[in-house]
Amino acid sequence: MSVPKPIKFLPLAMVVALVLAACTSTSASPSAGEPSESAAASEPSFPTGDIAIELWTKEGDPNIDFVQQLADDYSALHPNVTFNVVNKDVELLREDMVNSALAPETQPELLWTVLDHVGPFYDAGVVQPLTGQFDESVLADAAKGAGTYGPDNDVWVAPISIGNQLMLYYNKTMVADAPADTDAMIAAAVANTAGDKYGLVYNQTEPFWLVPWLGGFGGSVFDSDGQTPTLDTPEMQSTLQFLYDLKFDSAVMPSECDYTCADDLFKTGSAGMIINGDWALGDYTTALGEDLGVTAIPMVKSTGTYPAPYIGGTYWMVPSAVEGDTLTVVLDFIDFTLAADQQQAQVEVLKRLPSNDEILNSAVVTGDPNLADAADAVSKGVPQPVNLEMRCNWDAMKPQMSAVLSGTASVADAAAAMQAAADACVAAL
Amino acid sequence: MNFDQSASALQEIVLTLVVIAVAVAALEGFLYLVLVRWIKARLAVPLMLIAPAFVGLLLLIAYPLLWELNVSFTNMSLRRFCAPDFPTAGLLTECKGESMFVGAENYIKVFTTPVLQQAGFFQVLWQTVLWTVLNVTMHVAGGLGLALLLHRQMRGKGIYRALIVLPWAVPQIVALAVWRTELHGEFGMVNQLLDMVGVTGPSWLTDPTWNFAAMVLVNVWLGIPFMMVILLGGLQSIPGDLYEAAEIDGASSRQSFRHITLPMIAPVLTPAIILGVVWTFNNFNVPFVLNQNELETSDTLVTGLFRAAFQYNRYGFAGAYAFAIFAVLLLFVIFYVRRSGALKSANE
Repeated sequence: MSVPKPIKFLPLAMVVALVLAACTSTSASPSAGEPSESAAASEPSFPTGDIAIELWTKEGDPNIDFVQQLADDYSALHPNVTFNVVNKDVELLREDMVNSALAPETQPELLWTVLDHVGPFYDAGVVQPLTGQFDESVLADAAKGAGTYGPDNDVWVAPISIGNQLMLYYNKTMVADAPADTDAMIAAAVANTAGDKYGLVYNQTEPFWLVPWLGGFGGSVFDSDGQTPTLDTPEMQSTLQFLYDLKFDSAVMPSECDYTCADDLFKTGSAGMIINGDWALGDYTTALGEDLGVTAIPMVKSTGTYPAPYIGGTYWMVPSAVEGDTLTVVLDFIDFTLAADQQQAQVEVLKRLPSNDEILNSAVVTGDPNLADAADAVSKGVPQPVNLEMRCNWDAMKPQMSAVLSGTASVADAAAAMQAAADACVAAL
Repeated sequence: MNFDQSASALQEIVLTLVVIAVAVAALEGFLYLVLVRWIKARLAVPLMLIAPAFVGLLLLIAYPLLWELNVSFTNMSLRRFCAPDFPTAGLLTECKGESMFVGAENYIKVFTTPVLQQAGFFQVLWQTVLWTVLNVTMHVAGGLGLALLLHRQMRGKGIYRALIVLPWAVPQIVALAVWRTELHGEFGMVNQLLDMVGVTGPSWLTDPTWNFAAMVLVNVWLGIPFMMVILLGGLQSIPGDLYEAAEIDGASSRQSFRHITLPMIAPVLTPAIILGVVWTFNNFNVPFVLNQNELETSDTLVTGLFRAAFQYNRYGFAGAYAFAIFAVLLLFVIFYVRRSGALKSANE
């Protein structure tokens, strides 16, 4: 008996229908306890359904413990909210987030990262604006307006701490007083360099440690338009020459030294001074205690100008795919972390300058000499550029800085090569 | 990760497996209806058996390749980072309202402009060829030498073998992280040992020449155990009678090696060399981890590709660059297969 063709295909149609139905129900059904869109609109109360938040943070060990503590404290208040705190190196975090433009489902719910991610994330469309979304009234003036970017001048970040500035830390058992200028700094470094002891250490592999000196020599990485790289300049050559002389003429530094090396040498008392960011203050306070001194990077003697470290801090950013109840919880969590109690805890644990105005002006900051000096160092800095062109500058400066500090390129050639690389990069953006 | 998160992750895995199982069942059901019930094809069963693997390969290999080809004809970058639109059949044609199509421009740029910041394609190609030749040569020489030494009656042979194979057993990234520390110009063990014998060690990590040498040194250390194990297996398969006969005929050790050992291990050596060339050419970990200062003189085509795509975010350019590398390897394989007759037996 022959079967009519439509009936022959009936099993196939049923299988396809089953698969489609399974897919549709998986993607469209709301999670348990999640209120409907209309209910949420009429009922702005705190979501009661289970909310899982994946939080990517640049903080590694031990600072990630503080981030986890914040999350735990919030979960204790809201048991329906759970966190998965994931540490990602700053560069990896940037790459993973940018790549998420092609697969938004891979995004986390919240980011704790640095300011210069604003440009790449904005251009890749992977974060959402936070203008008016969190309580800005608690912020200190120095923290307001950070991360404002794009044609509509939207705010893309919520500041957790301000600073991120490079400073000069010194071990008082080796360097009694804070050096007033570069000559004094070099003299102190020379006096403390012998055998396996070094006068001054810093991360020689990253141009983040170069730009403050560029400011000290009167230069800037951008023209007045804030977009055109200006790296092949006399100021850049002076900066590179200064770093070269510091290493080869004054000979106060190890021949090769990256971040870990410099950090270890200072913490173990094998280096008299280190140039490092405010993020290390807590660590160094633990390691050196009363012997730790902090000051702004000393004034460049030949120009009479203070080096200008980039000012940023740590910031919350919210990925573009976060919406609905999850967004409500994320924004509430941000407000929670910006409140006075959590900000004070941050100062006490991480030793960073808080974004909260009340805490920034409280005795917990002004009464701590190291934090007060850190605040002074912030006043010498300049806002860190957040545009995409800055990435071109970083990428262009890094290998040439290394080349000068390894003695394989002249300062003139290095500056020219930086400029060419940055120009080519900007053109390809 | 707490219990709830683990359970959630497990749930996602199970769900994925269920979806795959349902998809395979649907595919097989469809093929059954079409091939068996409708067309009554003679090869219905084999086709049904290979169909899931075929679809899997299409999804995992063919689609990414086509996507890469598509990207290579666009100016995709960090500022023009868009997903393909479904109205354009999954093709990446425009981003933020602007056309992304640039024709063959990226392919021309690969050969006429720097692929990194200063180094051009041919400089990086030369560095890659030098890196490959040096490594494979030393892998074969060192591996063969050690295999010959161990292919004898000797006390403690097992211990020697275990020690020599150790670098191969250590996870590569761990080994490289250790080597990077030990090659530190000031505090590394290598220079401290050199210092003890009165030699001032070089700046392995910052000097261009020495950084390249350090890469080769470490990769030779990593690669010799594999070659030794393969060649030792080849040596052990040679019948002892041949050597006895040669000895009776008055052949010297060198003649035995030249006329017995080498020809007999050739079937093992040839694929090992091909693998060695491809692995070394495409080796990413060693040049990348030991070149944290981003010296372009230490970059190979593969690390250069990574930098072009994920550091400098020149995605369109990197797509064309990737096809250029693919072409180089394809030419090598065609040349090698023709010269060696490697596929002769398969074709006969």
